[in-house]
Amino acid sequence: MLRWTLKSLIHERVAFFIGVAAASSALLLVMFFEAVYAGEADNIIAYPRNAGADVWVMQRGVGNMHMATSYLSDWKVSEVRNVPGVASVEPILYLNTVIEAGGQQWFAYIVGLDTPAGAAGPWAMHSGKRNPDIGEAVVPEVFARVTGLRIGSPIRIVDHEFTVVGLSRGTFSMANSVIFVTRVDVEDIMTSLDIVSFMLVTAEDGVHATTLASDIEAAVDNVEALTTNEFLANDKQMALQMGVETVALMTIICGALAAFLIAFTVYAQVARQRRELAVAKALGVSNSALYLSVCVQAILLAAISTTFAVLMAVTLMPLVTAAIPMVTLQLSTASVARVAMLGFVVAILASILPARRVATVDPMTAFQG
Amino acid sequence: MTDPVLRARHLVKTFGSGHTTVHAVDDVSLDVQAGELVLIKGPSGSGKTTLLSMLGGLLRPTAGSVEIDGTDITALSESRLPKLRARSVGFVFQAFNLLDALTVEENILFPAHLVPGGIKAGRARADALIDRLDLGSRRHSLPRTLSGGEQQRVAIARALINEPPLILADEPTGNLDSARGQDVMMILHDIARDEGRAVILVTHDPRVEDVADRVMWLEDGAIRDRKAEPHSWVRDPVCGMRVDEWTATLITDYGGEKVVFCSQRCLERFEANPERYASGPSRPDGSPERSA
Repeated sequence: MLRWTLKSLIHERVAFFIGVAAASSALLLVMFFEAVYAGEADNIIAYPRNAGADVWVMQRGVGNMHMATSYLSDWKVSEVRNVPGVASVEPILYLNTVIEAGGQQWFAYIVGLDTPAGAAGPWAMHSGKRNPDIGEAVVPEVFARVTGLRIGSPIRIVDHEFTVVGLSRGTFSMANSVIFVTRVDVEDIMTSLDIVSFMLVTAEDGVHATTLASDIEAAVDNVEALTTNEFLANDKQMALQMGVETVALMTIICGALAAFLIAFTVYAQVARQRRELAVAKALGVSNSALYLSVCVQAILLAAISTTFAVLMAVTLMPLVTAAIPMVTLQLSTASVARVAMLGFVVAILASILPARRVATVDPMTAFQG
Repeated sequence: MTDPVLRARHLVKTFGSGHTTVHAVDDVSLDVQAGELVLIKGPSGSGKTTLLSMLGGLLRPTAGSVEIDGTDITALSESRLPKLRARSVGFVFQAFNLLDALTVEENILFPAHLVPGGIKAGRARADALIDRLDLGSRRHSLPRTLSGGEQQRVAIARALINEPPLILADEPTGNLDSARGQDVMMILHDIARDEGRAVILVTHDPRVEDVADRVMWLEDGAIRDRKAEPHSWVRDPVCGMRVDEWTATLITDYGGEKVVFCSQRCLERFEANPERYASGPSRPDGSPERSA
């Protein structure tokens, strides 16, 4: 019975491969959306992840960086520096705004660095200067490539003109690219003096970040101090929340499409096999065994489609990233597991309609010549 | 006398209701003993296939009962009927109805999977059936590569794999040429005689009458006394098989003459190239041999 189930599934090879290809494509789309989303979410937190701080200090009530605003008086930098266990403090003045480049508008983190910049600056460079001076900007290399900027090109941030002096790596995301300028320039843009947004604190050897964060909150009024892990988790959650509904919708649409395609393939299979199903019933195969057979066919189709989709994803995603530098794709094990689970659910759903059709097959039709 | 393998009592099957009621089978009773080959004949639409379906547990009668090997199958639940069919009834269809994706051997063994312990015993039986039905060289072939005669032999082997006491065959020679049809008839004859199975055949093939133990005439759903009508034997111009002109259903007109066929296949062949067959030696000669 199982042999018949398996062999009849692949007997009509063209129909089988079309079914697998179609369902794989739908599942691949699910993985692609998830990978884009995961890659983007990862890029959004690239700056706080790579800045090298153990503890982030900010205005009380603020808990993350993405789309957030935090202002602290800059004299608090000295207070934080004096907390026992603090090895270094790098203040940044941070502004999230829209800039125009290459004829498009881009949302960007403008990070104002104290000069000379320490750990708060770009962590990997493609070319040019790492530390901008007044009137200079370090922009992401991908951003420069997409917008046609080069070292020496002018770039306008809010109402200020800057010159591109360096191209950084790992700082681009479609949602927010990180552009480094001096803190003085950001103060100038904001027409505010003596303020900072975040303090990037490193701990002395042997001092635990959690302890240090608590000590800073106890020693300095009206500040929020979070370990980098807490800060990153908050930021990632914020980034995910902003896109999760879109991705969920895309996943549902593609999952439904995959279900439809698998259902259609199995349904067409059942329709083609109507005579054989009648014969099988006449020979003594029970309805429940035939339901199971259809269900197994749907699950197999989904499993094969899922495997194909994963193989295609693993093969194609690096090529897509290479061809389209703006897109960062991150395929996680969790995403593959989710697609596998989706494939299984899809298979069960997809077998309902064909199974209902099996029930209507009249074994007497086996007598029809 | 031993208990019959098949006992049908007052079988009735009606379709529709009110003015549109059709009595497909009307009060048919029938006993078939082990080793007996019973032929059911009748014009098209007389209820032969409906009767066969009820005897095989594929269709529930409106009234009456069917016992196979002492089990009243009309009293069995839908969930128990398939097992009984797998164990007790072997079907042979006109269209062979092999499973396209399975090889000859797998087709033969298919019903063995449906009976507890069937596959273990089935393998040896399959080997024996393959030898007996001369299918050795085709064991691993797919049905589409087989001739009609080979396909029907596979179907017969499949019907026998679980050693059912009852074989039901519906026009088993309908799609075969004369020689292959003769082969199949002799195999079914041997199954009844040598293996002691009850075989019920629905066929228009008049040659079977020579080997059948009983011939039943079904008309308007009821068993009638066989009329002592004479046959009007003519030759199928395509395969040369003898056909009773008076009961034949596949008839065409060619050159002002009635031409009679044993099977749809022969009719189609004739229609594709009538000159070839009409001028041949097997053309109806207009002087039929007649027998009572």
